[in-house]
Amino acid sequence: MTTTTAAAPARPRRAMDSLTQRYLVLVALIVIASVGFSLANDNFYSLANIGILLRSIAVLFLVSMGMTFIMLTGGIDLSVGSNVAFSGGVGVITLTATGSAPLGFVAAIVAGMMIGAVNGVFIGRLRLSAFMVSLATFALARGLALVIYDADSINVSNATFLWLGGQSWGTIPVVIPFVALVFVALSLVLYRSTFGRDVYAAGSNINTAFVLGRRPERTLVWVYVLSGALAGLSAIITVGRVSSGQPWTGLYLEFDAITAVILGGTSLFGGRGRLLGTILGVLLYGIIINGLVLTGTNPYLQSLIKGLILLGVVLLDTLVQRRQAQ
Amino acid sequence: MKFKTGLLTATALATLGMPVLAADDTLDIVFINDGHVAPYHVAWLSGFEDAIKAYDEAFDDVKVTGRWLSAEGSLEKMIQQTEVTINEKPDVMFVNAINVDAFEPLVAKAQEAGITWIAVHSPIESADYSFTLGDVVNGTNQGLAMCALSGGEPYKVAIMLGQAGNPSGEARHVGILKGISACDNVEVVAEQPADWDTVKAQSIAENWLTQFEDLDAISGVTDAYMYPSIAIAMNGGKELDFFGYDGDIPILQQMQAGSVKADILLSGTREGWNFVQMAYRIHKGETPDKVYDFFTPLVMTEENHQKALANGFPEDVQVYYVDQALDVAAKGYLEFGPDSVK
Repeated sequence: MTTTTAAAPARPRRAMDSLTQRYLVLVALIVIASVGFSLANDNFYSLANIGILLRSIAVLFLVSMGMTFIMLTGGIDLSVGSNVAFSGGVGVITLTATGSAPLGFVAAIVAGMMIGAVNGVFIGRLRLSAFMVSLATFALARGLALVIYDADSINVSNATFLWLGGQSWGTIPVVIPFVALVFVALSLVLYRSTFGRDVYAAGSNINTAFVLGRRPERTLVWVYVLSGALAGLSAIITVGRVSSGQPWTGLYLEFDAITAVILGGTSLFGGRGRLLGTILGVLLYGIIINGLVLTGTNPYLQSLIKGLILLGVVLLDTLVQRRQAQ
Repeated sequence: MKFKTGLLTATALATLGMPVLAADDTLDIVFINDGHVAPYHVAWLSGFEDAIKAYDEAFDDVKVTGRWLSAEGSLEKMIQQTEVTINEKPDVMFVNAINVDAFEPLVAKAQEAGITWIAVHSPIESADYSFTLGDVVNGTNQGLAMCALSGGEPYKVAIMLGQAGNPSGEARHVGILKGISACDNVEVVAEQPADWDTVKAQSIAENWLTQFEDLDAISGVTDAYMYPSIAIAMNGGKELDFFGYDGDIPILQQMQAGSVKADILLSGTREGWNFVQMAYRIHKGETPDKVYDFFTPLVMTEENHQKALANGFPEDVQVYYVDQALDVAAKGYLEFGPDSVK
């Protein structure tokens, strides 16, 4: 009698290892940046500044988590910033028309999901370039925002609507525990559900995913819808933060999100990355931006630094990919 | 021995010199602006930096420091920068708020921290001071100049606007239309926002020159629009009149060449210097008007001014001729330097 042992699918040890290394490097960089900025400015470690830092990156956390799902599929979403402006506008206008904060919340999230669905259908079902489709919706959503706002801001005084983005418990903004909850929920979706496995499958090799019957086109639609829903949530937080709906909100958010996600180790080419890395990436990016403001770094130089960070991490990601391919 | 004597002498001199050199009093000024790349912004921010240096060097009794931040058009970023700055507790903050209402809570927070808040361009009721430009009045003066220089014949003008919803741009627009309404012969054939963007202004100007063959003039709410408009008209061999707003030096120089008929002398350089002068005055206990109007004369050539006056242009509108305007625009210290407060 011969026994055959079914070969268990090999764990992608090397990929995991390189990601773990990446996270350790990120933690080290966070510590170095924090110590450096605190030496340059005593206020860096003040509770007030930590509260400001966390509040300022809450929206980036949410949008970047959505972007992580998308980039895990090998896609990209340039429309998230415009979507935040558009969905915020829909939420605020619904709030103004009905006086109901819950309806305003739902409207903002549904509006975000609609833009996400447009992206998803064109990219997933019609197999168009994610870059080009989301570039189009980048302009489309901003245009819609300008139209529905009539290009002007709308002030919001509804305490319920403003609560999430505007309130703090001491120096800790309310939005931070909320973001943590979203992180836990999305982690469960990504690591403990079939959908999560489909996301990785679509990004690793979409053709194989097709052959295996994983219906990656449907997965792609849903990751963009999810990203849109997170843009809608971000819009609610943004309105709470600035006590008004703004047609020009979310400018450059896509740049910041993409930078933070790649910084966190998610591959530009899909199939590799984790939400934890994104959280660390956002934190490091937020600390750098906060520190540059605190140290009075020339804004011309700040843009240069942000550009160099993105260029550096893209280069690093590409080199890691090439090494793994060999 | 020699070394010891030298050391003692140096120590004694340093000790004696300390009270003279060290300034116990400090004035820390932060300017948070909505952008930093438009030609006006560049002049504004460099004027501010130059003024900080000049005031610091001119006065021994007070250490003047300052910095500027740019929100790059993002309200969220501006709020974050403002929160961080309040935590830093400077003495004076100039904030060119993208949305006034969103900043009301921060004004209160800054004042609790003992910071003097100066709202820039768009007044804020609760701010300690508001630094305003008189945009409606300035726009009206530009429109009146257009009327007076149009010669009474049918005159077609296209107006390039700011970003939709921007209070300053809208006030300028209202003013220009008000000025133009003083005469019957000037017709506005097109209006379009160019979002303060020179590149957008270029394509708009190209479209207008194609669409309106008999266009007489282009008016704009910022000189950033004049650069491409003048260039496109010149390249196309069209002789148009231009009416600008900002007092950018290259545009004032174009006025000497003849194509630019009138401009509003804001001048970013002047404004930057005026900020530091205002902060210094407040620091020294003076109380400027709660709503402080930046002095912004109209600029014309002497010849055009005389022609305009002959055609009914109001005599009480303050006009600078080009040479004077160029001098003042480039040298903020002439009006607002340390000598102005000594």
